[in-house]
Amino acid sequence: MSENKEKILDITDLDISFRTTAGDVHAIRGVDINLFRGETVAIVGESGSGKSVTMKAAMGILASNATVNSGTIRFSYHHEDGTPESVDILQKDKKWIRRHINGKRIAMVFQDPMTSLNPTMQIGKQIMEGMIWHFKTPKQEAWNRAVQLLKEVGIEDAEKRMKNYPHQLSGGMRQRVVIAIALSCNPDLLICDEPTTALDVTIQAKIIELIRKVQKERGISVIYITHDLGVVAKVADYVNVMYAGKIVEKGNINEIFYDPRHPYTWGLLSAMPDLDTDDERLYTIPGSPPNLLHEKDGDAFAPRNRYALEIDDKLDPPMFQITETHSAATWLLDPRAPKVEMPEELRNRIERMKREANEHGSEL
Amino acid sequence: MAANYKTDPILTVDGLKQYFRINSRFTVKAVENVSFRIYPGETYGLVGESGSGKSTIGRSVIRLYDPTAGTIRFNGMDISGKVSRSDNKALRTQMQMIFQDPMASLNPRKKVEDILGEGLDIHHMYRNSAERRQKIESILAKVGLAPEHASRYPHQFSGGQRQRVGIARALIMNPKLIIADECISALDVSIQAQVVNLMKDIQEETGAAYLFIAHDLSMVKYISDRIGVLHLGHLLETGTTGEIFENPIHPYTRSLLSAIPSPNPVVEKNRVAESYDYRTSGLDYAKGTEHLVSGTHYVKCTDEEFERFTER
Repeated sequence: MSENKEKILDITDLDISFRTTAGDVHAIRGVDINLFRGETVAIVGESGSGKSVTMKAAMGILASNATVNSGTIRFSYHHEDGTPESVDILQKDKKWIRRHINGKRIAMVFQDPMTSLNPTMQIGKQIMEGMIWHFKTPKQEAWNRAVQLLKEVGIEDAEKRMKNYPHQLSGGMRQRVVIAIALSCNPDLLICDEPTTALDVTIQAKIIELIRKVQKERGISVIYITHDLGVVAKVADYVNVMYAGKIVEKGNINEIFYDPRHPYTWGLLSAMPDLDTDDERLYTIPGSPPNLLHEKDGDAFAPRNRYALEIDDKLDPPMFQITETHSAATWLLDPRAPKVEMPEELRNRIERMKREANEHGSEL
Repeated sequence: MAANYKTDPILTVDGLKQYFRINSRFTVKAVENVSFRIYPGETYGLVGESGSGKSTIGRSVIRLYDPTAGTIRFNGMDISGKVSRSDNKALRTQMQMIFQDPMASLNPRKKVEDILGEGLDIHHMYRNSAERRQKIESILAKVGLAPEHASRYPHQFSGGQRQRVGIARALIMNPKLIIADECISALDVSIQAQVVNLMKDIQEETGAAYLFIAHDLSMVKYISDRIGVLHLGHLLETGTTGEIFENPIHPYTRSLLSAIPSPNPVVEKNRVAESYDYRTSGLDYAKGTEHLVSGTHYVKCTDEEFERFTER
């Protein structure tokens, strides 16, 4: 797979701000994301860090008060006859995107299945809708495909369920229906925006299994937007950590979890207690996420960063390349910076995680 | 102050049943025969999936619902039926609740000082306005907010700060028992850790007991001394945190524990969660009785099931 990787999505230098009555909110400040066919990328960050806005931009469904200041979102796909095509989504108008991209080539699974389904429409109809609209599939054929999709996402009695309304289904089943809808047009890219946050742990595990299975069978690419690092560990090949509209650290999954370099990633990793944590106190990131209405000079994370250097208040750090895939935006990686070690608790935990991983037969 | 198991429990719930009658043919049995006790200074975690009745238990304990059957004893006093006026008054200061969504549980038209002072006003707990102000400021300081925050409205705070106001409101009456109903699930990861640390500090300082209701098992494990696992209104397994996590007996508990995602990619990618479905498991919770596993570890099942579970 690694020899001829095909780039599906290429976001470069994306910069978006929102006009509000209180002033301009600079929500996205230069984001780069690459995604190859068949791979999974996770975008991790707190609420308000801009992870959902980035993906909405890729779908062309930004709110009307948003302005794209710069950047390109290049999406590559194949026409039905196999000819490759590559477009910049930001240059296309809404109508064209709806016709050619939304639902057909990029599909999205939202957080709350109750608000993303139409409560007055039978779920069968909702699954068929996209196929009929995009491909003019005959009704009978669409029906058969919908039944098949329901079976594929693990719903029993699919024929009977086709006539159900969303309120007759449980939360987990609803999310399965949403996934079936997303898959109905055979998309190249599936964007999952916090797909399991509204669900219980047991059901969460099943839904994630399902998305993984579907991805493997169909060879599609998936972008996960989440703040749950446990979920990220399960699904992702590559991870982007976002903070205040910027990607502060990116790398493949092992680099982020076993060798994190950015203090914010350290904080995220250690704020989540794993089952072996027995420290008296949890390590916390002090303060709360910044309000992007008031832009400040330098690194947006500096006020909450106990490792902040003087330069952090003056100059935004660039991305420092650590390995070919791993990079982080923190001045700590500058050769002139003092040597700073990650917090002790986290280092112990990573040691433990590595030992466990080695028991599973992979050397790190 | 660590949990004190030598004294009498602060809260004893015995055979609690909570039914909701929808119509003459249909009754929702939200809680079935649940018994547990909480000791002073202890944190008792209730876990289970949505619809398992964990919030209902919390609301029954704080007398938002009338229990269908069973007794709830608080501090030696029976609070499951009618309660005298003076007892009721005492109860309302000694039991407090922290809710899930701080935005929805704080009155948007009141300043923080009035939200916090409401209980003080009702129970006449100050002599003059200076004392009221001083009490409010000291409680704000305790939860990590500044005195000037007192004159702000809830919408002027961030999510984590709002939850601190919710905690301050519960604390100002100096309660013996705090019911925390999913109080961190609406918060960001980094803020969750802050709030959990705060709750631990406060427990250390005031010796209040917590009934911690949540579905995030890793947080529950971190904060709780003892845990109860609920499913479909039945308390299936209860014991100390160590007992439950190291030696889960009931298949539902096992599936619940196996579903917790671990932030370790290599382990996580190879892990397969145990699946459990009540309908196909062949278990009947209603027939189960309590079986002692060891120490304070109890599991609810029939004799024959118990043998099967413990064999493995």
